[in-house]
Amino acid sequence: MPGLSGTGLVADDLYLMAHHEITGKPYLQPRALGLGLAGGLLAELMLEGSISLQHDGVVVAGRTLPGDGLARHVLGLVAAEHERRPARDWLLFVARNAAGDVARRLERSGYVIRASGRGPWRAGRWVPVDADSAFAPLLRGRSALDATRALSVNGAALAGLATACGLGYRLAEYAPPRTGRSLEETVAQLGPALRELIAQTQAAVDGALLSHRV
Amino acid sequence: MSRTQTAGAKPSSVSRALARDRLGVPAVLFFVLAGVAPLTVAAGVIPTAYATTGLTGIPAAFLVIAVILALFATGYVAMTRHITNAGAFYAFVSRGLGRAVGVAAALVALLSYSFLQVGLYGAFGPSAASEAAAHLHLHAPWWVWALAAWAVITVLGLLRVDITGRVLGVLLTAEILVIVAETAAGLAHPSGGRLSLATLSPAGLTSAGFGTFGVLAVVAVLGFVGFEQAPVLAEEARSPRRTIPVATYFALGVVAIVYAGAGWAMAAHTGQAHVVAAASREGPGLLFGLGGSLLSQSAQVLFLTSLFAAALAFHNCVWRYMFALGREGVLPAALGRTGGNNIPKAASLTQSLTGLAVITAYAIGGWPPMTDLFFWLGTTGGFGILILLALTAFAVIAFFARDARGENTWRRLTAPALAAVLLSGIVVLAVAHYSTLLGVRPGAVAAWALPASYAAVAVIGLAWGLVLKARRPQVYATIGLGPHAVTGQLTPASRETPA
Repeated sequence: MPGLSGTGLVADDLYLMAHHEITGKPYLQPRALGLGLAGGLLAELMLEGSISLQHDGVVVAGRTLPGDGLARHVLGLVAAEHERRPARDWLLFVARNAAGDVARRLERSGYVIRASGRGPWRAGRWVPVDADSAFAPLLRGRSALDATRALSVNGAALAGLATACGLGYRLAEYAPPRTGRSLEETVAQLGPALRELIAQTQAAVDGALLSHRV
Repeated sequence: MSRTQTAGAKPSSVSRALARDRLGVPAVLFFVLAGVAPLTVAAGVIPTAYATTGLTGIPAAFLVIAVILALFATGYVAMTRHITNAGAFYAFVSRGLGRAVGVAAALVALLSYSFLQVGLYGAFGPSAASEAAAHLHLHAPWWVWALAAWAVITVLGLLRVDITGRVLGVLLTAEILVIVAETAAGLAHPSGGRLSLATLSPAGLTSAGFGTFGVLAVVAVLGFVGFEQAPVLAEEARSPRRTIPVATYFALGVVAIVYAGAGWAMAAHTGQAHVVAAASREGPGLLFGLGGSLLSQSAQVLFLTSLFAAALAFHNCVWRYMFALGREGVLPAALGRTGGNNIPKAASLTQSLTGLAVITAYAIGGWPPMTDLFFWLGTTGGFGILILLALTAFAVIAFFARDARGENTWRRLTAPALAAVLLSGIVVLAVAHYSTLLGVRPGAVAAWALPASYAAVAVIGLAWGLVLKARRPQVYATIGLGPHAVTGQLTPASRETPA
């Protein structure tokens, strides 16, 4: 059943944050959403210690096998590729199906359900089951920017990736007024690999925007 | 060598999937030509240029400028492969001539594209007004229609960032077909029954002294503006070595033939001695009058869609510059922020406000929109692009002088040097004869104020660049990197393409 604490997975939180808590309508353009979620999925693997980012690309660290099926699938893709590829390639590759993959994972966890479109010409949409649980990730991202609260690695990664893919304006709407911690300070608490992943996500989203292919 | 690049080896599934998502030559070409907006130039710029400058060498100028721009493009597309944020002139200038000069170039580019964008309202307004009066019996002043177009562009700018490629593609194809049909009809019925090649002869370029060439060249460069946009899609292109150069050269060739042909047909149909007077009298009708009434009707409707598409394309171009500069911290950070649906609202609205201010000023001032807004600001925008082309040619030489990066002498030195000399010469000639270009008396305010506006923003840009260097070195270090300012990546990530 959906809960306010969420699934604990960065991409799940990012997905819910990127969609309206009641209607399920996206706040982002499709490509930006995909890139952000791809960043989220890669961040999950980094947080688990399954992959790491080196100067010449993403490598399998091989310490642990993630418990989640989708994370194992992404790890499998990285492991199957003989050539070491830069984070940007993986972001673009994983982004292609990330939105559907993460939505289905959230469906399995009970957070969203598939609603059919109104009329045969309209595509269906995943709709949050519980508005409060769907809104909670935004509050988690917000608390990462609150200097009065302890900072979790997941929260910092979530705030960084959300801003990178274009949800910064939503975080800003709910930002703590005086006790704010800047995003730079928040992201600075993360390790170099996650910081680089967030920067690469931001560059990929901005690049898509500048070439009008979002 | 990587596994997938090895001869005979099959590209990996990741490579294949990434390559499938990338753009081929046709997609890049459509993107480029949408910004070029051929009918805007053929029906708007060419007749107005005949009328305002009184010069008849315009068709020849298109051919000569195409050759000069092809020389320029040789080094330009070569450098595109070695830098990030290749979609912006100031990125080339920053990497070649230094970041402070880059900031100056950025402001010149912003002003140029802004002039080009707002200038288009000056053609859209009167054309829509006369169409509406003729067919819908709606009699409203030009600025009402200009404001209507402005409102739609403002809303589109706040709703979506992707240009609806398919719609533009269809309109663009129709535009080119209509121009070709009008051209053929005009050439089939030449004045006096004999087809004259005089306006295509390079001799016409200096008919009223050598300075004439500078004037004609600015008009021709204005026609080609948009061809420089292919590198915007460099990171999305299927093959970085092939897609961008092929699309750029192809666009240059298509545009040169279509414009030279249309300009030639107009002069041949009315007679070289009468074309200037006919252009003053008929305006865009000079092109529309070449063919039958059905052709003429469709051309007039497409002229409006072409002007609108060009205004939208340049609107996007302006916010792209503002957004990239806002991201880098060169301009206020608010310009680099996005709102819902990843829309760079502040940047888009800033350009909309500029458009509103200009349309309002011209409406209140009662100034003629077709010449004083469309042609003056349009040619001044084209002149700004000319300055940037010259500066970029020098930047290419300087960039490869430090490291040849495997490019041959022709691409990294000879062609850019020829282009730099020729383009700089044209800039000097144009400044000296700016009054002829605008069709005003020598010494008129517009004839010095418009070109001087670039000198002003260049000085401001240079000074701001130096302030950033002293006060905010971390911002200074990323000037010209655009979206890569956050990663500090100077060169594009290596890419491969499946066989």
